[in-house]
Amino acid sequence: MTVFNNDIGLSERFHWISRLLEGWSIYKKSFLGKIGLTLLAVFALMALCSSIPPLIDPMYQPMAGVDPEIFKATGPSTRHWLGTDFMGRDILSQLLTGARIAFMVGVSAAFMSVFLGTVIGMIAGYTGKFMDTFLMRLADMIMVMPALLVLLMLAALFGQLSIWFIVFFIALFRWPGVSRVIRAQTLSLKHRPFIEAARVAGASNLRIIFRHIMPNVLPLSFLYMTFQVTSAIIIEAALAFLGFGDPGTVSWGMMLQWVWKTGHMFKAPYWLLPPGICISLITLSFYMLGRAMDEVLDPRLRKEGETD
Amino acid sequence: MNHGEETILELDRIVKKYRTKAFLFGARGQEVIALNEISIKVTRGEIFGLVGESGSGKTTAGRLIVRLEQPGEGKIYLDGHDITSLKGKASKAYSRRVQMIFQDPYQSLNPQLSIFETISEPLIIHKIGNTKAKEDVVWQAMKSVGLSPPHDFAHRYPHQLSGGQRQRVAIARAMVLNPEFVVADEPTSMLDASMSAQIFNILLEMRKKLNVSFLFITHSLAAARYLCDRIAVIYRGNVVEVGPGDEIIENPKHPYTQALIDALPQFGHSGDVNRYETLLRSERAPSGYGGCPFFLRCKLGSIEKCSREKPPLIRLGDSHSVACFYAESGIKTSSGDNA
Amino acid sequence: MALLVAENLSVGYQTQNGYLHAVEGVSFSLDAGKSLGFVGESGCGKTTLGMAVMRLMPSNGLIREGRILFDGEDLLKKTDEEMRQIRWQEISMIFQAAMNALNPVHRVIDQITEAIHTHTPSHNKDEAYEQVRVLFKFVGLPEDRMRDYPHQYSGGMKQRAIIAMALACKPKLIIADEPTTALDVIVQDQILEETKSLQREFGVSIIYISHDISVVADICHDIGVMYAGQLVEYGAREEVFDNPVHPYTKALLSSYPTLTGEKSKLMPIPGEAPNLINPPFGCRFSDRCTEARVSCRSNPPVWLEITPTHKVLCHQYGKHCGE
Repeated sequence: MTVFNNDIGLSERFHWISRLLEGWSIYKKSFLGKIGLTLLAVFALMALCSSIPPLIDPMYQPMAGVDPEIFKATGPSTRHWLGTDFMGRDILSQLLTGARIAFMVGVSAAFMSVFLGTVIGMIAGYTGKFMDTFLMRLADMIMVMPALLVLLMLAALFGQLSIWFIVFFIALFRWPGVSRVIRAQTLSLKHRPFIEAARVAGASNLRIIFRHIMPNVLPLSFLYMTFQVTSAIIIEAALAFLGFGDPGTVSWGMMLQWVWKTGHMFKAPYWLLPPGICISLITLSFYMLGRAMDEVLDPRLRKEGETD
Repeated sequence: MNHGEETILELDRIVKKYRTKAFLFGARGQEVIALNEISIKVTRGEIFGLVGESGSGKTTAGRLIVRLEQPGEGKIYLDGHDITSLKGKASKAYSRRVQMIFQDPYQSLNPQLSIFETISEPLIIHKIGNTKAKEDVVWQAMKSVGLSPPHDFAHRYPHQLSGGQRQRVAIARAMVLNPEFVVADEPTSMLDASMSAQIFNILLEMRKKLNVSFLFITHSLAAARYLCDRIAVIYRGNVVEVGPGDEIIENPKHPYTQALIDALPQFGHSGDVNRYETLLRSERAPSGYGGCPFFLRCKLGSIEKCSREKPPLIRLGDSHSVACFYAESGIKTSSGDNA
Repeated sequence: MALLVAENLSVGYQTQNGYLHAVEGVSFSLDAGKSLGFVGESGCGKTTLGMAVMRLMPSNGLIREGRILFDGEDLLKKTDEEMRQIRWQEISMIFQAAMNALNPVHRVIDQITEAIHTHTPSHNKDEAYEQVRVLFKFVGLPEDRMRDYPHQYSGGMKQRAIIAMALACKPKLIIADEPTTALDVIVQDQILEETKSLQREFGVSIIYISHDISVVADICHDIGVMYAGQLVEYGAREEVFDNPVHPYTKALLSSYPTLTGEKSKLMPIPGEAPNLINPPFGCRFSDRCTEARVSCRSNPPVWLEITPTHKVLCHQYGKHCGE
């Protein structure tokens, strides 16, 4: 039956595509979703273009590129569309780089925290008893800790923190929230007949968790990723603003730090406003994305059972 | 029907109790006795019906057999071997021999797996055959339950199928390991008459071709009559009557069985059926003693005997056993031997 | 004089994929004090029919055609306010899985008195209370359980409470949609007996919707068999049950296992019901019918009379005319 082997390739591919298309058509109907996606597309474009300005002229380097003719903060001009910072560096290229950093930090931290949270939540929910209690108490302890304060303490201990260290720690602080939700979902799935059927068929606990529970829990995980992105971006920005970010990276938070540190907060709105607005908008757009996805993943879409 | 006299599955004085969660102001939860020392023997190749209403414990009995739960007391034997407390590898090996078809076709299939993935899952778990061999087995299973042509259905997902089709997938999944014994837990109670009829005929086919034994759990005496060689009637965790299917229905001896037959809608059955009238209009107040489980609703029950002693299962000849003091006296056998 | 007459009723739903013809061209009539049963498999339109009579269609539902005459007046021409008056006082309904409709945080008696009070505000509290006492007695519920909460009731008791609520305002017609499906067979039998005696006492008409033809035959004077949104056979229960003419009715009857009589092989009906978004033009049962001819697929069937009270929607009747 070699025909079948080809079939499986095609139909499986088709199925993913048709499900994606189905999800997309529902997503399209959401007003918030469309705005969110548009904004994100703009930011993504910014991130992609961040490498262009330095190629045009080295003076556009976000960290090191200093305009030879400008030594202080100046407003928008033809050479510098958003103006320059106190050192004569181009603000626009800093902004573009900041977008790239935001995506990197946001998505990586979100992915890591959701990955951890999903695995831990599933194991806690399905295994129950001691493992469940242990993991959930651990989650409680972490949730109670003030993330920002701990990170500040670490920064004070170790000096400046590198950006990846920050990402890792954000993930470490954010997984408990995800795991609670995934655990609840797992608990409700645990007693469903199809899970019992897998047990009767002889499946091990591990197999049940990863083959049967995980696919049913992943949509929720994806949803949570969007919320996690927003908090990751904000934490990084806050850290950078307070002076505990990675001094080698130009993030929006870092830009705000420079504005403040150099006393330009009320003197250079062209420098202060862009990063602040960007932080707000990107978090807003991820939130809108999450709201729209919520509609897509709503179980009322699944055609269960018969009517009449 | 080619079953020998060999017993494939035996439940020996099984007891199962549950403790309900403690209420806010109660000391502990209440204890509910789901199964009260029931004993059943199923012979190889037989379709054995377990008939009872909700709360009778019939589903619990099925779950104990497939080891989703453990009995409190008593033993379960498969082909003569005690399987009551299997663990690890032995437990997994057991699942190759004993399978289950669940009641709700809308919940017993994983919505994220395709039909092919669902049916091939047991084969993957038990590492049976290479990819090609697995394909062949799944294809064959799908054809035998009437999901033909298989490639039409293989890549669909449960929500794209009707209830009857889903239940057929569940049957294919149960049969793919070629088990010796299958528990069918009310497989048609959520389906229409026509789909139910299809499922019944599929089960009969399976038995004929593969000599599989079934425990058919149902609340419908009519379905049991159609499908089953022997029937056991269960009431509140007690087997009250066992015997050949036709015999139980034409000649019921226990007042509860008689009440069940009375209760079926009469029209169209053109007065062939006797009215036994064994049910009290309203329940008696519980006396607090042990006694017959059916005493509280039974017209025949006598305060002296029935409310104090639990009637044992007595054989009335012709492999028909009844647990009632008022049934015609027969040969008393040891605790529920009914083969 | 017939209490309820439906003429050529067509009802449907506006869905994402198009207009779903849930009920098509259904006509029936029900006299006062009698009961009429609608039988069919899921998706045949029987529940939609019940909802349409009460005019309780969801927002995407549409009563496209026909008249529903209740006591001589067309219900489809009534305003919302007028329908509100009619509901529960003249026509009440027992929904599918109605026992879940009891509010868990209110006592049972309060829920019934509220129903009474909403529709007959003139009754004061004591009168309503007394009415409930009488109702409880009729439906076989112990009086000392009136003040309990729904979770303290068993399934059968909840269903009886629902029946009491439906009777509270002494309606002329009750529409019951699968009222005993979730109940054990002994409880079901008791409730059916009580329903029959209630009908005799109160003289209320009943429309009974079910997929179980034996239950319907037990309790209803007339039976309507529905398939794919259409009424395919209609007549007195003796006629339909003992002398079915439509191939679907015959197939339906032979797909049920029986407790008596010969143990013949159950014949499931092959194939699936047609999609009601694009229903076939000809006979909707033709592709599953063992007696179908080519003309069945191309021409819609018409109503043919077998006796003055028994009619069938089929081309083939002419062949069976011999009886």
